[in-house]
This record gives sequence, structure tokens and C-alpha cells, in this order.
Amino acid sequence: MEMACRVINRRRHVGLQQLLSFAQTGRSFLGPVKATKFITDAECHESVLISSTVRLLEGLDLTCAVGHLLNEAVQAQNNTYKIGTSTLLFLVGAWSRAVEDCLHLGIPTTVIVSVMSEGLNSCIEAVVSLQVPIHNVFDHMDNTSTVYKLETVNATLCPFLQDPSGSGLLQEKRDFKDATSPLLSTYSLSGRHAESPKFFKPQNNLETEKNTLQVLKNNLYTDSFCKKSALAHSRHFNRTDNSHWISRHDGFLEQLESTPKVLRCNDFGELAVGLSHGDHSSMALAKAAVRLQWQSLCLQQANWMAPFMFDISRLLTCCIPGLPETFSRVGLGYVTFVTMSSITLIKELQDQPFRVILIEGDLTESYRHLGFNKSVNIKTKLDSGELSEDSAEELWTNHVLQVLIQFNVTLILVQGSVSEHLTEKCMHSKRLVIGAVNGSVLQAFAEATRAVPVAYVTQVNEDCVGSGVSVTFWMSPHDINRSNRIAILLTAEGINLITAVLTSPASAQMETKEDRFWSCVYRLYHALKEEKVFLGGGAVEFLCLSHLQILAEQSLNRGNHACLGWLPDSSSWMASSLSVYRPTVLKSLAGGWHEFLSAIMCNTATHPSAVEARTFIQQHVQNAIDSGSPSSYILSEYSKLSSGVFHSGISDNLELVPRVYDTVTPKIEAWRRALDVVLLVLQTDSEIITGLVHTEMNSQELDGVLFL
Amino acid sequence: MSRLEAKKPSLCKTEPLTSEKVRSTLSVLKGVIASCYGPSGRLKQLHNGLGGCVYTTSQSSALLRNLSVTHPVLKILTSSVQNHVSCFSDCGLFTAILCCNLIENIQRLDLTPATAIKLNKYLLSLCTSYLKSEACSCRIPVDFRSTHTFLSLVHSILTSKPACMLTRKETDHIGALILKAFLLTIPESTEERMVLGKSIIVPLKGQRVTDSTVLPGLLIEASEVQLRRLLPTQKASGLRVALFCTSLSGDFSNAGEGVVVAHYQVSLENAVLEQLLNLGRRLVTDHVDLVLCQKVIHPSLKQFFSERHVMAIDRVGVTLMESLSKVTGATPIGSLNPIVSTTYGSVKDVCSARFGSKHFFHLLPNEATVCTLLLCSRNDTAWEELKLTCQTAMHVLQLTIKEPWVLLGGGCTETHLAAYVRHKVHHEAEAIVRDDGCTQAKLHVAAEAFCSALESVAGSLEHDGGEILIDTKYGHLWSCQADSASVGNWSDTLSRCGCGLYNSQEELSWSVLRSTYHPFAPQTCLPQAALGSASNLTVDCFTAKLSGLQVAVETANLILDLSYVIEDKN
Repeated sequence: MEMACRVINRRRHVGLQQLLSFAQTGRSFLGPVKATKFITDAECHESVLISSTVRLLEGLDLTCAVGHLLNEAVQAQNNTYKIGTSTLLFLVGAWSRAVEDCLHLGIPTTVIVSVMSEGLNSCIEAVVSLQVPIHNVFDHMDNTSTVYKLETVNATLCPFLQDPSGSGLLQEKRDFKDATSPLLSTYSLSGRHAESPKFFKPQNNLETEKNTLQVLKNNLYTDSFCKKSALAHSRHFNRTDNSHWISRHDGFLEQLESTPKVLRCNDFGELAVGLSHGDHSSMALAKAAVRLQWQSLCLQQANWMAPFMFDISRLLTCCIPGLPETFSRVGLGYVTFVTMSSITLIKELQDQPFRVILIEGDLTESYRHLGFNKSVNIKTKLDSGELSEDSAEELWTNHVLQVLIQFNVTLILVQGSVSEHLTEKCMHSKRLVIGAVNGSVLQAFAEATRAVPVAYVTQVNEDCVGSGVSVTFWMSPHDINRSNRIAILLTAEGINLITAVLTSPASAQMETKEDRFWSCVYRLYHALKEEKVFLGGGAVEFLCLSHLQILAEQSLNRGNHACLGWLPDSSSWMASSLSVYRPTVLKSLAGGWHEFLSAIMCNTATHPSAVEARTFIQQHVQNAIDSGSPSSYILSEYSKLSSGVFHSGISDNLELVPRVYDTVTPKIEAWRRALDVVLLVLQTDSEIITGLVHTEMNSQELDGVLFL
Repeated sequence: MSRLEAKKPSLCKTEPLTSEKVRSTLSVLKGVIASCYGPSGRLKQLHNGLGGCVYTTSQSSALLRNLSVTHPVLKILTSSVQNHVSCFSDCGLFTAILCCNLIENIQRLDLTPATAIKLNKYLLSLCTSYLKSEACSCRIPVDFRSTHTFLSLVHSILTSKPACMLTRKETDHIGALILKAFLLTIPESTEERMVLGKSIIVPLKGQRVTDSTVLPGLLIEASEVQLRRLLPTQKASGLRVALFCTSLSGDFSNAGEGVVVAHYQVSLENAVLEQLLNLGRRLVTDHVDLVLCQKVIHPSLKQFFSERHVMAIDRVGVTLMESLSKVTGATPIGSLNPIVSTTYGSVKDVCSARFGSKHFFHLLPNEATVCTLLLCSRNDTAWEELKLTCQTAMHVLQLTIKEPWVLLGGGCTETHLAAYVRHKVHHEAEAIVRDDGCTQAKLHVAAEAFCSALESVAGSLEHDGGEILIDTKYGHLWSCQADSASVGNWSDTLSRCGCGLYNSQEELSWSVLRSTYHPFAPQTCLPQAALGSASNLTVDCFTAKLSGLQVAVETANLILDLSYVIEDKN
């Protein structure tokens, strides 16, 4: 075993250059207009269409140490927030370039690390002034028209069938029981049948719903008055050189009421549009999903006073390639696929509610729970002429069927895989077995039907069996004959589970469409959870840019400015020479934002050339700095700025430019992670490769390698 | 048929240290280790070159664990440093750098190994007796009435590990948490022998560092589904706990060797399950409220428990078992045989907790010295480093309770010691030589090698081309920019010494550390102000540094003493 040690920052920092080259690949994913890429495997000639950073990194060869670190950071961001990875990747690139420039100027590493990280901290504090509190976003849904609109989204889960059971309300189902069977045959191909709201709600139901909403609304109102906005704590409201903001701080609530346009967002529709980032079709679905969950919780728990929390684990996607995009929709219940052979069974089952059991493991004879070790040294002795070995499966199947018959179970939802033999047998006895069911689906059915999930069928007793599940076709059995499967909808009264069915005519786009849908859902999720959003459309980055410019100029003028830049070792000579380097380092950090903004502008093609984009940004940064308070400049000039960034021609009526929002914590965390990766690589001076044999490296790689 | 192969002859090399290859690898190793030292130390990426895990670290424990050195001389060095680190956690890099410096310095001299070793031992004893004496002025007694010293100690450790990627705020937060966790492990009632408890670090990756927290009791990770089944407890008197270390999964892993033949009508699985259910009935009649199992509990047994309102938590894992036993007072049960009721323990309450995306059972003890540090970090790399750092810090706090002193950090202890030794040798050379029987010249040469080895450890704190100075009153370390070293008006350019105790406004004179300065007697009493306000000082663990010093000198002596390396080639 040999071990090699490679010095990685001789003349140019190799690690930073690697980061830069990785980050360049993700440049086109920034902003609302995303260019897709093909990743082609040179060996087996397979290619994938991608349009997100995570998918891109999945396709890249990241075996080098720096690539590994980058991937780790992107994955961590993705696992925690599911959004913000493109920002992360881009800023990694921009800031590695900035850091490298600083190195060329001879600035000590420790100083770069300290000033950059405190500079970003300062930016994060500064952008608090661009936070928009979200209050009572569900208030505006208590008028009748909205409820109807909601209902249409709700009940149109089955595009071809006007079966009211699809709405998930069993009470209605009973009301319309007689009407159900004739309706079954009246599916249409348009998928646009939902304009007839008369099926969906008897008038009295609507009244009660209105009351519920009123209660909830009042509740939210009191809530919002108790809570002071995060803005009140911003140091920007306490700045003495800014009288405009101080006055707002004094009469905070009043001011907010009188200027709702500026500082608050209380309309869910507006929020959703702002967070859509150009992807309106995905956001429409995401918005419908959130509304549906809110609405079904309100209906279920009329006197439930807790504030609404969007439970993202109760939202699933089901992808159906080959259908036009207009068939995508959101609804209560669980949409899944069954084989064509089950069609007759489903047809028979769809009229009545039935009983269900939930199996947490596999439904096979050989399955044993996790942690059960099968002994190899136990043999079964057979008496001659009696049952043969292969009948164990048969015995087990019969036993399972007995249990199912005994408890009158029609539906078995299984988390793992299912024995084919058993599925067949069940089909004969008019029972439906569905395997590979997500854990949160089991949980949702457990709550709605009062079933208790078990590991083995032998555990089933009366208390474990749930009831009140119904099934219907999601699409017409006659329509799909190419693939060997058909989508069905399983639902139960009061089930807190929403399936978003995503369709796309091109199957290559399916994955992208799903990713985009989830991005929208997570943007809404984080915004609702945090009860605040950033003013987006480049405003936040623009403020960071101006803020850093001001800091840099201040430290140039004032000389020793102790609040920024902190060295862990305060007695080092670098602590006293920080002020010399600070302006340069801060400007480099700001350069990252500059690059970010101009990349977005180039991507959206508002400014075809990078030069033009840079001029636009520079001009506004100068204006912002001259105005004395960049944040108020941005707020007042927001329409001009955002349309400059996103829209080609500045329209005459700037009031019509819709506001763009960004999530708060995911964005800030993406910045921090990006800078962390860059600074981690910057501080690394050698790469130690263990377990290497001398001959494994070719002569080119051996350059600058030391062996221990 | 066995085949006999002739044995290869062993390889014997004389004077391993004279070989050029050994010298160069030793200097590469020193370069790697010295560049990691201190708060502005550089990081190392460690990986196997095959796409495996990448560690980014500057800590000796992580570094040496993953280094695979080949030469016996290097192996002696790394293993003795690792041994030191496993006992004291801190000062590993100090030990390794000092040892390399000593070997390098002494080799340049014209001394026989025997003389060098003897003189090194003497110089070491000079240092240790000074450090342990009352007159020592680079040692501060710990004031137990305030947390200042402890916080400085933790702070110094946190800031010297840049791969943790902590900002100032985060450093303060984690520092306070470490101290809190440590205080929770101290028992309230002091008996004859105080036994410290344990704090367990639970990872929560992907979250912000400031989301980290300390909780009394234990956290057991669980799935959300498991937590939903947790029943609310109404008992006021606490919960009776049975703790199993055997598997309750219903398998027969202990069937032993050989083949068991069973009749086809006999179901062994059912037999074992029946045995498990009997055990369950026994637990229910014994009024056990909570069953904890290291391994897996059979689903049927779990169902049995939940129908009878007994909570069951399985797959706790071996790492938590010791602490669980401590928290609950239960003896782990290792078989399915009937249970003695004295093995049961108790807890105050069990509740569910959610942090980030993870779900936990939170066991609240009646009174115990076990706590949980829920440690968050944005990414895996930084988390691993932060975890090691926290463990080091907590260990150092324990060591400091035993020997309640801290040493001045930031390189000041090293330069001060060197100044002390130089002065001592300069003035008392005659007396020393009389006892030892070697010439004064040899003593001076050896002392110079020893002192410059110490000083160059302090010099390793500088990685950005700055200059290191020493003042001629206290013998403390000062850092200044390289080009201003020649200017001379140092009292304006310098601010504070390495540990932060003195500032440059006093009437001091300085000398560049690399040049030779005239021996002086460093002032041997600490200002009273320093004792009171140790809050802003950089301090090091006394016990760990002292041991590091001893290990370094003794390992260097051992390596200098090597005259043959005999390698078995078979």
C-alpha cells in the first residue's frame, strides 16, 4: 500500500478550477427559462433529457474529490429543501472565480475566508427587508365562485368519468347513488366536462362550508394580529439614516394595512403566481393540491382551530405518459395502475364501498420481517407419500385466502411485492391486491378507514380491517389499449391523500414534468411553512450586490471598520490587515451576484448580450447606492427592475408587471452551502490519496505528487 | 499434500535515519501535518482515488487514521501520536510536529544518539517540572465559579478546526451547547467517587448549525409511522422499563452447529413465536409499560403489546444500550427465559420529538447524567469534522476537571517554554553538566535544537507568509506582516500576543523568532487581571499538552535510538 499526497494549489488552485468547470455546466438552468440538455453515454449510446441540476449531477462523472464535495452539497440541499440547487451550483462557480481572483491579488486565504463568510452573513441580514409576510392567504377563497372553482378541480380527478365518488365525499355519493350508474357511460374525450357544477354539491353543503370557512378565517385573523412580522426586527427599520422606514416601524400595522401592495401577500393566487417562476401549468396543479388539502381538512374538522399546515407527505404524483398535457389534474384519493386483466373486477367493485387491509411487508410465502434471520441448518422431514415440497406456497395461499374470506376483505394494499399466484387467486375470488404502495399512502388509508397496518396476514383480526374504500377508473378502460395497464382511483371518506396525475404526450419529458411539479409544490410548501417569502425576480440578489458595494466603499473610506470580517485567531497579523483587503474581497463576493443576475438576464433573453446586461445592472446599482437606501430603492423601482430582468419590452403600465416571489430559507441556505463548498476547497492545500499502488498512476498524473 | 516453501531471508537495514528516502518522507509527513496546524491551518482531502468517501479535515485523529504509511520509522511516529490522541483527544498535531522537528534538528547535530537522548530527557524534565510548578507563568488555574475559562477552552478548540465551517455566531452557539452538555453529565449529588455521565451525539445533517440543541435524556430515532403509534402516557409515577439486548424477532439464530430436522407438521417459527408471546404475557403481568429492544421485535409481539397498551421500541442499536441501561437503571435481558423483576428499570416519560426531517422517541430519565447533543451541520463533510471536534472538546473539559489548569495557547506556551529552557541552560550549565557528565558545548547545542523545535511548532501556526516575533519580557508569541518585520516600530503594528494576554502598548521589545536572541529570564508571575478575565484568551488543555510534550520527546528519542530495521519478507 502506497499513499500519495498531491499539492493542489501550486500556482493556480486546481480545486477551484475544477469547481468552476463543474458549475459551468449548470448555467442554463438558472432563471425561469431553462434550456434542456442531453446527456449521452458514449459507450451504450443511451441519452437522457434533463433540465435540472440534480439530474445533471446524476449524469456527470464526479469521482474526483472536489466533484464529490460539490455533489454532496447539492444533494444535501436537495434532500433538505428540494429547491435551490441551480442557484447553489451557479454560485459555486461564480464564487470560485471570485475567490481565485482574490488569490491572484495575493490576499491571504484566511482573510478571504473570513471576509467572504461575514460578507454573506451581512447580506443575509440585509435582505430581511425584502421579506414579504404571508397572512391569511386562504381568506379570499370564502366566496362562492372560488368554492366552485375549487370543486371543479376536486372532482375532475377522473377526466373521463363524472362519477361524484371521485370528489371523495361519501355523503354525496349516497345522494347520487342512483345517478351513478348512468353517468358511468357518459365519459367524453374532451376532459373539459367540469363546467357543470350542479353535480358536486347540494346547496346546504355549500352553506356549511361557508360557515366553516368563516370560522377559519376569523381564527386566522386573530392569529395574524398576535404575530408581529419578522420585518419589525429588521435592523433596517432601526437605521437612523432612513426616516422613511422608521416611520413605518412606528405605525407598523397601520402602515401595512394602508400599503398592502408593498409589503404583504395575502392572496393565495398571487402567491402561487409569484412562486411559479414561469412554470404556470405546474404551479396551477400545485396550487390546486394545496387548496384541496386545505379544503378537505376544513370540511373534516369544522371546529379544528390549529392553523393549516400543508402536509407534503400526503401528496403523490402518478405519471401517465402518452396523454395530452390537459389531462393532468389533482384530486383526493390514490391513483395507481392495475393490469388490464383486473378491469372486470374493478367494474364490479366500483358500486359499493368495501373493506381493506394494509400489509407493511411483502405479501409472499417466503417473506419474513426485517431482522429475521433464516436458519440454514433446519430441514423439514417429510413422511413418504404426503405433501410435496412445492405445496408450501399453495398452503400459504389458501391460508391467506381463508383470512381474507373470514374478514370479508376486498382490497389488500401491500407496501412490498406480492406473490403472483396469490394475486391471481384473489382475482378469482373478486379481491384486489395492489403492491408497491407508498408508506404514506398506507398511513392515509389507515387514518381514513381505521385499518391497522400489519406485517403478516396471520396478524389480521377484526380491529385491523378498515372499511369504506371505493374504487373507480381514472380513465376509460376502452381508451388505453397500448400499454398493458390502467389507472384506477382508490379513495375513502375523509382521506387526507392527494394524487397529482401528470400527463405528457412525450414520455421523455415525463421526468422533467414531475420534477417541475415538485419544485412548485416545495416552493409553496416552504413559503406557507415559513409564512414569508422574498421579493423575487432578482430583487434579493440585487440588494445583496448593492449592499456589498456600499460595505466595500464604507470600509475604503472609514479605514478600520471592525464589524465585518472576523478572524478565529484575533491576534494574528491578518486581523490588523483585514481592512486593507476587505474592499477587494467584498467586491469579488459582489461580483458573484453580478454574474448571477446577468446570467439570468441572458438566459431569459431579455438582454441578448452580457455587456448589455451588465450595463443595466451597473446603472441600477449605482442608482440604488446613490439613493442612500438600496432596499427602498428596490421596493420603489421594483417593477422596472424585475421587468428589466425578466421581460424584454418594458410595458407602459408598470403596475401590471406581476410580482415574483422566492422562498426564504431554501434560498439563503443555498447561498451558504455554495460559499461553504468554495471556502472548503479554497482552504484545502493537498489531496491525499490512500491505498494507491505506484504503478496505477500514469506519468502525467504523477506531476507534483509526493509519496509517503 | 502440503508443500514446503523456503523462507525468504529477513532484510536488515542499518541506521535507518541516515537514508535519504526516510528523511524525505519524514519531511513530507511533517509538511502535511504542520500545514494543518492552528486556526488558519490548511485542510486535507483524504480519499482512496476510486470514488470513495472524501474526508476534508485538518485534525490529527482523522488524518492519521486514514494515512497509510509504509516505513517503520513513520509507523512508530504515527502510532504513538494516535495513541496519545486516543487518550487525550487534543494536541495530536502539536505532538507530531514537535516530534518531527526534534528528529530533524538533532540529526543535523554532531551528537551520538545516546548523548542526544540523555540531554533530551533532561530538557523534557526541565519543562515538565516547570509546567507543574507554582512559578509557571504560562499556566492559569481554572476558576470554577464562572464559565469563562471553560468557554475559552471550548472556543479555542472549535476555532482551531476550520473544516467545521463555523461562523462566529455558530461557534458561540456550539461552544455554549458543548459546555451545557458537559454540565449535564456531572452528577448532582457528590458521593465518594464522582462518575461523570455521558453525552451522546445524534446527527442531524442538512440543517443549520444553529439548529443544534442539547436535551437531557436520550433520543432514539424512529420512523414517523412508529411515532404515530406512540400512546400518550398518563402515569404519574414513571414508566416501568424492560430492556432487551437479545433479538425478539422470532428467528432461531442460536441453533448451533449441525442440522436440525423437524417434522413437516411442526412449525418451529410458531413455536418460537409462542415463546415470545409467553414472554410478552409475563411482561404485561409485571406491569411493564415500555419494552426497549436492541434488535428487532416480532411484528406479532409488537401487535400484542400495542393491544395491551405497552409501548415497544425496537432496533435501538448497540451504541445506545449502555446509556439506556444507565438512564433507566434496567439490566439488559439477554434471553427469553423467565425474567427476574429486579432487571426492570424506569423512566419518567417517553414523548415524541421531531427535528428537521427526523423523528425521535425522547426518553426522559428520572435523574441521570446522560444527555443528547443533537448536532446539525449543512453537509456530511463538515458534520464529521464538527462531531470529532465536539467529542474532543467534551473530553478536554473532563480532563480539565481532573487537573484544573489551562495553558496559554496561540503558541505562547511554546515560545515561553523555549525562553525558559534557554535561560536555564545558559545560567546553570555548569551545575547541569556536573551531574550529567557531558560537555557544556554539547548541552548548549542540544538545548538549542530542543528550543528551536518547540519554537518552530509555534511558527507552524503561520500559513500566510507572516513573521513570528517573541517579546523579551514574557517570552510570548507575536505575529506580524512579513514586510513590516524590518521596520522596527513594532509596538504600532502589533496588537496582542498569540494567547491574547498582553498587548503591545506595554514597554516591550521584540525579536524575530528565527534569529537567535540573547537568553532572558521570562517573567514568572501572571498578572492578576489575567486570572480574573480568562474570557478572551486562547487557552489549551493542560493535561493533553503536557502529555503531548512527553510523547513527542520520548518518540523522538525512540526513533533516534533505532539502529537496525529488520524486515520479515515472508
